[in-house]
Amino acid sequence: MSADPALTITRLRKVFVTRQRAVVEAIAGLSLSIAEGEVIAVLGPSGCGKSSLLRILAGLDAEYEGDIRWRVAHTGAGRLHGATVFQSDSTMPWMTIEKNMLLGLSGLPLPPAEKQRRVKENLDLVGLADFHRAYPHELSGGMRQRVAIARALATDPMLLLMDEPLAALDAQTRLVMQQELLSIWLRTRSTVVYVTHDIAEAVTLADRVVVMTRRPGRIKAIRDVPFPRERDAIALRREQAFRELEVDLWTMVTEEVGGDLKADV
Amino acid sequence: MEILKPMSDTAEAIAARSLRRRRDQTLFRYALGILCPIVLLGIWQALDAAGIIDQRFFPPPTRVISDGVAVLTDASQRAGLLADLSITMRRLAAGYALGAVSGIVAGMAMALYAPLRYAFSPVVYGTFPMPKIAIFPLLIALFGIGEGSKMALVTMGVFYMTCINTLSGVLYANPIYRDVVTAFRVPLLTAWFRVALPSAMPAIVTGLKLGLGQALILVVSAEFVSADDGIGHYIWDSWQVLAIPRMFVGLTVVTAIGGIAVLLGSLLERRLVPWAHH
Repeated sequence: MSADPALTITRLRKVFVTRQRAVVEAIAGLSLSIAEGEVIAVLGPSGCGKSSLLRILAGLDAEYEGDIRWRVAHTGAGRLHGATVFQSDSTMPWMTIEKNMLLGLSGLPLPPAEKQRRVKENLDLVGLADFHRAYPHELSGGMRQRVAIARALATDPMLLLMDEPLAALDAQTRLVMQQELLSIWLRTRSTVVYVTHDIAEAVTLADRVVVMTRRPGRIKAIRDVPFPRERDAIALRREQAFRELEVDLWTMVTEEVGGDLKADV
Repeated sequence: MEILKPMSDTAEAIAARSLRRRRDQTLFRYALGILCPIVLLGIWQALDAAGIIDQRFFPPPTRVISDGVAVLTDASQRAGLLADLSITMRRLAAGYALGAVSGIVAGMAMALYAPLRYAFSPVVYGTFPMPKIAIFPLLIALFGIGEGSKMALVTMGVFYMTCINTLSGVLYANPIYRDVVTAFRVPLLTAWFRVALPSAMPAIVTGLKLGLGQALILVVSAEFVSADDGIGHYIWDSWQVLAIPRMFVGLTVVTAIGGIAVLLGSLLERRLVPWAHH
């Protein structure tokens, strides 16, 4: 890991006040540092606070305790700290794909020509160059999610935040998209935090897998994925190391889910 | 255990039969749709012929049609009808435009700025159920017996429909749009006019369509009570002098306005919300 991480999270805590006015701790002291160009997958049972973590990093939630330090060297005017790809379709149906992309850039002080260049470059990257005039309803679910990915990449984020971006897709499309994400990241060298429920997906995509405990969420374990960045999503499944890591992660996650079930009784 | 009998028909024969069945069903539907109103008119005619209903108030359809045609072919009568029609259209158009614009602006403001919403939504929702025609006397006191009060009445009816629909359209739009706006640091004005407003557009168009119906009811009601012109007055006046066929001509005109308005509403919807049907 490089000496100067892209992002350092120190003792992050998050509490919610429920409708019944109970105070619920979602994240209980989470510390993590993420190296430049690293892909981190976050796994954990439902309600473990992984989405809360992502919302905090995305700037959607400013009410937390703890310290989040971005590497200052790269904060230029033309980038976002964190750009998010949401789980559900987040394209605006009334805008063309191009306008959707420009909306993502509207908060950045860039000259119009530069915005156009970024739109074109990133639509090319996700293979949708010919669709800039199309409306979202003319595209498939997988294509719309690629637009969302291109929109996030166009902001040149220090951190690409992905909240189960492939969860709504069918199994075949999901695998194809995993392979595409791998090749996109290989070219963009993005630093990524990728929240998912899917253990095989975590191992396929990440350099490190963070397993969270059940609520209140903290880090249970971190596993390194022993594959190079350049990898084949399908061939990977033949590897002994892939299956061992998958079983290891399944064991840890079901421990947490099982503990949760016991706690509910 | 029963075993399903093997089908003796070919797949093509089955397909042809299903096509035929579908065509027959369509024919049947249209036939009933056309036949039913004719039968109803026939019953009306028969009741008149049998002397069961009062011919003075319900002349037989054949006389309504022949007298109606006479009204429309007479130059001076036709000119009078067109004059009334154009006056009603003017009241409708002015009142509608004013109500729609103010409703959308107020609804947006209340949706985007919470203190405005907290302050005004009890007022808006509290007075919404009141039949608008009930405060027509007050509107006359405020805006005079002339055009002002009639326009104000139409404006009110349209205002409530568009305001409430715009407000709920923005508030209940998919929350993901708001998340995108926040996560991508979208500037305020862009967020208002390029995201919040279009996200509410399906609801706004619904409000505009409901407003059309309201506007028509209100303009005719106002012309019933206080006008010496307009299509509402035309109908009421015909009734008072028992010119029943003339009244039916007025009713047909009002119905046509309503029908055209609904059609325009659907066209507007297709234009403003092209994504809604996908």
